[in-house]
Amino acid sequence: MKRLLIIVLFAASARAQVVAMAGRDTVVAHDGRVELFDANLSRVWSAEGVADVSRVVVGQGRVAVIDSFANTVAIIDLANGNGERIATGETPVDAAFAGGDLFILDRDANRLQRAGGGSVTLAPDPAYLRAAGGRLLVYSRLEGVVQEIDPRQMRITRKLAMAPFASDFETDGHTGYLVYPGEAKLRTFSVPSMTATGDVGAGVVPVDLAVASRANVLSASRLALADPSAKRVWIVEGSESVSRAVTRGFLRGLLGLGLFSPQSSQFPTGVDRVMTRGSITLAYDSTSRTLYRVRGSKGTAIATDVAPGGFAIASTGVTVWQKGVLRLIR
Amino acid sequence: MKRLALSLLVCLPAFAADGQPRMASDFEIARMKQQIATSRDFLSQLSGHLNLGDLYLSRSESETARSQYAMALEIAGREARRARKASDIMRYATAVGYSALADARLGKDGAAFDAAEEAIRYTSGSAKSWNLYSSAMTLLGRTAKAASAARNAVTIARGELARSPTVANRLDLATNEYTLASAVDDDRQAELLLREIKVSLRSDDFAALRRDIARRESFEIYSSARGDAAAYLSLLNRAGLRLAGLLEKRGDVDGARHEYESVLASRTDDPTALSALARLSTADEQQRYFAQAFDANPFSMTLIRQYQRHIDENTAIPGEDTAGARMRAALIEMQRGENRLARTTLDSLVAQFPGNDTLRALRRQTEVTAGVPAFLTSNRSGVAPSSAELRQIIGLLQSDGLTPEQRASLDQTTLTSAVTFDSATKNDGQTIFESGSIGGVRFRFGEPTAFTGTFPMQARLTYRILGATESGGADALLLEPVRIAP
Repeated sequence: MKRLLIIVLFAASARAQVVAMAGRDTVVAHDGRVELFDANLSRVWSAEGVADVSRVVVGQGRVAVIDSFANTVAIIDLANGNGERIATGETPVDAAFAGGDLFILDRDANRLQRAGGGSVTLAPDPAYLRAAGGRLLVYSRLEGVVQEIDPRQMRITRKLAMAPFASDFETDGHTGYLVYPGEAKLRTFSVPSMTATGDVGAGVVPVDLAVASRANVLSASRLALADPSAKRVWIVEGSESVSRAVTRGFLRGLLGLGLFSPQSSQFPTGVDRVMTRGSITLAYDSTSRTLYRVRGSKGTAIATDVAPGGFAIASTGVTVWQKGVLRLIR
Repeated sequence: MKRLALSLLVCLPAFAADGQPRMASDFEIARMKQQIATSRDFLSQLSGHLNLGDLYLSRSESETARSQYAMALEIAGREARRARKASDIMRYATAVGYSALADARLGKDGAAFDAAEEAIRYTSGSAKSWNLYSSAMTLLGRTAKAASAARNAVTIARGELARSPTVANRLDLATNEYTLASAVDDDRQAELLLREIKVSLRSDDFAALRRDIARRESFEIYSSARGDAAAYLSLLNRAGLRLAGLLEKRGDVDGARHEYESVLASRTDDPTALSALARLSTADEQQRYFAQAFDANPFSMTLIRQYQRHIDENTAIPGEDTAGARMRAALIEMQRGENRLARTTLDSLVAQFPGNDTLRALRRQTEVTAGVPAFLTSNRSGVAPSSAELRQIIGLLQSDGLTPEQRASLDQTTLTSAVTFDSATKNDGQTIFESGSIGGVRFRFGEPTAFTGTFPMQARLTYRILGATESGGADALLLEPVRIAP
């Protein structure tokens, strides 16, 4: 039986599947194809994709399907499924649409390339690319550097030294968040000023994070952190600037980082991925391939045998690609 | 003196108690089997199976090697699940990194890449994780990914050494530098790294470890070395071989020879070094190196191809009865077209080493290939057959593999070939020939045949094939001459 489990685990990972939302529609990349499904889960089109999908990034009217192993990205028009495949630099691991252009992060070439021409050299091991306020932010793990890039001129405008070896990087537009599994820390920096704003202990081995709700006049951003060692998703208040904190009268904003709220959700297995949208938060365990929905202090399994990227949060529920079929779990 | 003791010990495992030379990997295989049988911990089991896989692969036993890699993958997967259950995420990441390596060994590129990425998610600050990543990508031929990962490993290892200059950290840095040297496309950079490794390993920093190795009389070379002593020896061996290979590639024969000899000073039966020295040596040394290389590993296709280029009409069948000597004999017999003899020799080796890919491939080459030569069905005369087609005909005739129609066609077909006769007797304006060869295929006539005129030993012969026979101990064609031209 154990032997069978191994075979299933590794056979399933041989051909990845990734699901992403494009407004109310769902994009699924699987088995060398890219397909668009409408809100009723009817297939709109099916197009040629990439051999082994690593990541799907959706932009205004287009979707980029990345094959990190083969150094290929398929760029497909969401309206009709027409598109092209482009060769990238070595190991494209992330991408972002900005100002109508697609930017691809080629990790093992230490470069950010713009589809159609232009590139910029980055610090070694650039692993995460985020767009914020018309700028691009890249975090490179080896030196722990965040570099800000002007996408029009393709040049580095500012850089910030943070700690190396973060396992995820997210931003709510005002604050950048970096999570460190080895140190069990969350570090933050101000995106407008590109200055470090603080750090705080975060669980046991936090690996993945998601911005659960963005800051507004009444509250700071809330973050969800997946911690497989603690088998929990921690809910953390994000950083606030001094002025925003004063506006809301929260003294803790002066510390640069919000406090841990006591809120967390417990799971039967160690979850290492977290995703949030609106009122829905999902957690995923790569080892057991189980997808959980976070409900208060408990995680409820909603699907099993799901690929690591095989789910997304739709406006009406959770879409899951399972055994060649797209399902909507309300 | 200690160095001598080590060198002498290195010679010992090459010879079994029955006086038969053993293959270079015999000792390591026995050691790994013992390790698997007596140890229960994850790394002992994992490294045992990975090493056995590599050792069997070096002996062209790919099915056995694959089964060992599959076991390593199963062990790594089990360890990953156990670690995850125990909430030990760093242990989980290490196990997944080893899964990537085992997957890569099994040629599962997608699974290997996924596993390597999964391990790095948790441990991007670990030189070991990047090293595993790089090794897996090197195995899959993804050198740019491998080089990038290895550069990360070297940077991290250098930082660790700067913070804590221990012998273990020096060894880790050297290991990661070796991985980088194996991955980079730039030979010059690789050479610099390998020289740096050698200088480091020969430095006083490792004096205590060298004394320990001498005291323990250690000599084994593993691809997955456990412990400082095994890692030191394996690294010294592999770095030396790779450096020698680079020097040879850029034409520095003396430098390459020096490095290969340096490898042999630590491990006298290293098959790669022996094979290389056979390639780089003078004619009088070549036979000795070839003999030693074949005894160390008779099944290396690189060595076999090298030896096949070396064989000429003066190469004698070796008199010894070792596996290496019998392999050389089979290759010589094949070269002479003595396929029946070669099959017999190879069969004796197959009985001793069942499941060997090299033996299977060579055995196939001595057999009759499927179908018949095209000239048998084209009903054309004056055909110039290839050596392979003539060998095919010998095989078909020996095995009675021709249909009556094909046999009739063969009887009627006249063929023309450039021939080299063994000898010529000239008498009263006639030249008498009896036997010779066509592109390495032996032939003879039914009896000495006199041709009117004077002809050289090399001529163009038009003939019919009467049957298969022997000539000078080799398989041969029995020919009926039709005409001869200079």
